Amino acid sequence: MISVKMVWRNLMRRPLRSVLTTLSITVAIGLICFLSTVITTLYSGIQNADNRRLAVMSAVGLFVELPIKYQAAIEKVPGVEMTTKFQWFGGYYRSQKNFFAQFAVDPATLFDMYPECRVPAEQREAFQRGRTSCLIGSALAKEFEWKVGDTIPIIGALNPHPDDRAWEFQVAGIYHSEVPNFDNRTMFFHWDYFEETLEAGGREPGVGVFSVRVAPGADVPRVIADVEQAFHDSEQRVDCQTEAEFQRQFVTMFGNLPLFVGWIGTGVLIAILMACINTMLMSLREQGAEIGILKALGFTDGATFGMLVVQSLVLCGLGGLIGIVLAWATQGAIGTALGTTFPGYTIQGVTYALAAAVTVGVGLVAGIVPAWRAANLRCVEALRETN
Amino acid sequence: MLIPLSYNLRSLFVRKSATFLTVLGIGATVAIVSGVLALQQGFASMFTAGGREDVAIFLRPGANSEGDSQFSRDRGLKLIKSIPEIAVSEEAGPLASMEAYLAVLLPPARGGVTNVPLRGVQPVTFEIRKEELHIVAGRKFTPGNDELIIGSRLVDRIQNCRLDDVIQLNKTPFRVVGVFEHEGQFGGEIWGDLDRLLAAMGRYGPNRVIAQMRPGTELGSVDPLEVMFEDDPPEPAEGTLAARLLKDTEVPAKVYTEKQYLASQTVFLSGALYFLGGLLMVIMGTAAIFTATNTMLSALAARTHEVGILLALGYRPVPIFFSFLFEALVLGLLGGLAGCLLAQPFNGVKAGTMNMQTFTEMAFAFRVTPVVLGIAISFSLMLGLLGGAWPAWRAARLKPTVALRQG
Amino acid sequence: MTQAMIQARKLTKRYKRGGETLVVLDGLDLEMSEGRFYALMGPSGSGKTTLLNLIGGLDQPDEGSLVVADEELAHLGGAELSRWRARNIGFVFQGFNLIPVLSALENVELPLKLTPLSRAERRKHAQFALELVGLADRMHHRPRQLSGGQEQRVAIARAVATDPRVILADEPTGDLDRKSADQVLELLGRLNREFKKTILMVTHDPHAAEHAQSIVHLDKGQLGRVEENAPRVPAGEAQRSVRT
Repeated sequence: MISVKMVWRNLMRRPLRSVLTTLSITVAIGLICFLSTVITTLYSGIQNADNRRLAVMSAVGLFVELPIKYQAAIEKVPGVEMTTKFQWFGGYYRSQKNFFAQFAVDPATLFDMYPECRVPAEQREAFQRGRTSCLIGSALAKEFEWKVGDTIPIIGALNPHPDDRAWEFQVAGIYHSEVPNFDNRTMFFHWDYFEETLEAGGREPGVGVFSVRVAPGADVPRVIADVEQAFHDSEQRVDCQTEAEFQRQFVTMFGNLPLFVGWIGTGVLIAILMACINTMLMSLREQGAEIGILKALGFTDGATFGMLVVQSLVLCGLGGLIGIVLAWATQGAIGTALGTTFPGYTIQGVTYALAAAVTVGVGLVAGIVPAWRAANLRCVEALRETN
Repeated sequence: MLIPLSYNLRSLFVRKSATFLTVLGIGATVAIVSGVLALQQGFASMFTAGGREDVAIFLRPGANSEGDSQFSRDRGLKLIKSIPEIAVSEEAGPLASMEAYLAVLLPPARGGVTNVPLRGVQPVTFEIRKEELHIVAGRKFTPGNDELIIGSRLVDRIQNCRLDDVIQLNKTPFRVVGVFEHEGQFGGEIWGDLDRLLAAMGRYGPNRVIAQMRPGTELGSVDPLEVMFEDDPPEPAEGTLAARLLKDTEVPAKVYTEKQYLASQTVFLSGALYFLGGLLMVIMGTAAIFTATNTMLSALAARTHEVGILLALGYRPVPIFFSFLFEALVLGLLGGLAGCLLAQPFNGVKAGTMNMQTFTEMAFAFRVTPVVLGIAISFSLMLGLLGGAWPAWRAARLKPTVALRQG
Repeated sequence: MTQAMIQARKLTKRYKRGGETLVVLDGLDLEMSEGRFYALMGPSGSGKTTLLNLIGGLDQPDEGSLVVADEELAHLGGAELSRWRARNIGFVFQGFNLIPVLSALENVELPLKLTPLSRAERRKHAQFALELVGLADRMHHRPRQLSGGQEQRVAIARAVATDPRVILADEPTGDLDRKSADQVLELLGRLNREFKKTILMVTHDPHAAEHAQSIVHLDKGQLGRVEENAPRVPAGEAQRSVRT
């Protein structure tokens, strides 16, 4: 009963209005996709974390280092298959705005623990051989145009070089990871070189995080409890968690971001809902006479109601579709722009679903409001509506 | 001659639903932008509130924040002795203190964990801070005891952070003996005795030295905001205290005024919030402008005949343009006021997030300041202006004979 | 000899519609005297309204000359034309004369705002005009609170408020019932007799045309016949005009 042609003609009655409304929805949906993706990206690390990998750190906090000898003790805990260590270096390249993560690591065990870190075999060997060499992520290589063989000076803010100069590392390899929670913007170098250099200056460095792989068949919660118990009476207590929990810890530190973003999203939603209802009511004012005629011709209330709702859904649907396509098309550019502080920006299925739901929801509500009014109008009144 | 303003004002209220929906739409946009700005203002005012120009912060030369910096106790003392510009009080002696900056993982009320800043201070710190920092419950900790005082902003935000609670720092339990208030950043920190905290956390020395300088002392320090982003940062001028300290062979140090230091610590988060606010202004503002344009175009369509009458009577296109523009501005203004009203409930609401630069939790509150309101109203007027420009131009271009024909 | 208030020579106006050019006024020659009440009649499409619009300065002719109230309209630019119109012309349209959100008084004051009169003077003039049309007691009512006939009378009050030299009325009684229409027409007649206003009324109703002194017929954009008429004067009025 509802003619597509009629719906289209009604929308094109005032083309500028329809275009502006559609564009408003496009903009709003684009924004909603962005906000939603920020949240999903932040939490994606948690979802993809290997749940047989554990993180061991000081129970006091990340600022505090654990003694190196703890590594041997951890490896003795039943159920522990292997360990590797990470120490946050906290330096920067030339100026503070060039901020990226640097870690002192065990090159021998890093790759076994993190198979997602992919490096060509000869680069991996070069890294493992070269004491002062480093491994950089593909995003870093791209941003600073570093190649294998380059020497990178890093100013040690947290760990100053005892000779009062910048630390220097030669790029032995470039790694790439497809997994969101292992980002491509990190630099790894040798723990031994780190330890030696600092000890020459009179400092004994500790370790920030030990990474542990649980042996197949072992019970993860049991291993966690055992690891923590092992150091209960030592000079430093430890906190052991699955990698997923460890990542979640970082995310929650930002505060209640989902709530914050939710508020913004709600505001956006209200704004476009108002815009759409406004447009539909304006259309109704002009279509009033036509509806009277339709009813006089025998169209049921249900049919006119349906037509108005369809009109609204088409308008919103078009806007939403363009918004979603735009979001999809620009995610690469946005990801690059955010790259520094926010690696791994990719839109996920749940965001598309949310955008679609919002589009349909707004379309329905904005259509029902005038449709309900129109349905209650009797013929004569509808004809008078134009005046 | 201008068209009477009452014409526009009354016309806005003839089509109540359209005006209401547009005002609410603009209002929601303004409220969100105001919220983000209020967050930034709350954050900025908390930090700048504490930034004194007469207090100097001394760090290790390569450090960018106190978290990076470290002195041994001896060298800290030597540093203090080497600076005659430090003010001296009769009761307390030289007004210089060593402080340790640590963090402890505690569970906030909202769940998860967060790094709460922990500061080890000496008694002189309280002397330096006596005008700004006040104990509001319990008492100060006794030097040499395993006791803590909690900043008032933490009390309800973090679990087990109340008077008489016990907080475990590594293996040593510390008792909370007091709550203090400070408008600036310290109000979100936990304080304890410097030496007891260093011992509990296994640290060998303080992170920084602070000192109240004699009135009129010029540090000559370079603004850290300039240093941070430059590949070849400038150095302090020759002959200044800052230059002297950098070149010192025994205990080289970098010095900033507290005000400069705090600004540098917050620049990234402040910048991020400003950026977010600006982004929302542009994106949501665009949608709001489209809404306003639609409303005004519809109003014009309904009142084309009226414009024809005005033209026939002898009114010129320019006053007609301004008439419709005025109407759009009023729409924008009403939306702005609605937005400010909607944002008001946020004022004072507590918020907290992690400062990426220091990796510690910061507790502050939304603050709807006059700056926020000013930006909100200007923004909404701009929305009205941009939304109404096209319809107003269309109105002014109407020919009387054509306009009058429309019923 | 009465001065010619309106003088048209070879007046031509064309409209483009859908690719075709229509000639609405075709070299029209016309003269109308000051202080006379004219009715302009003709079949639809004869150009009556177009002629009215041109005389009122709402539009410009394509060819020919048009002198109204001693001014050659073709020589006036946009702003000058508006100023001239505000000073010399009063309009009454068929319907929707008034701005709905303004009161009767405010509507009548609208053209007065274009004059240098002070606020108090404007108010005085507007009130006087409303008294003239017998609606002083409704001056604060909005148009929707007035009947069709009352609305038209307020429109007439607005048209005379600035004391223009010419009143142009386009089908002023088209939407009214018989009684209201008569009221409006009698009012126009009075304005012509008592205040010597030159009135040009477009109408298709012969009964309305009876109120005019001359009936001008237009046909296909050219002047047809002109009838002289002796309109009826309402009973009491003849006495009144003798006394003043």
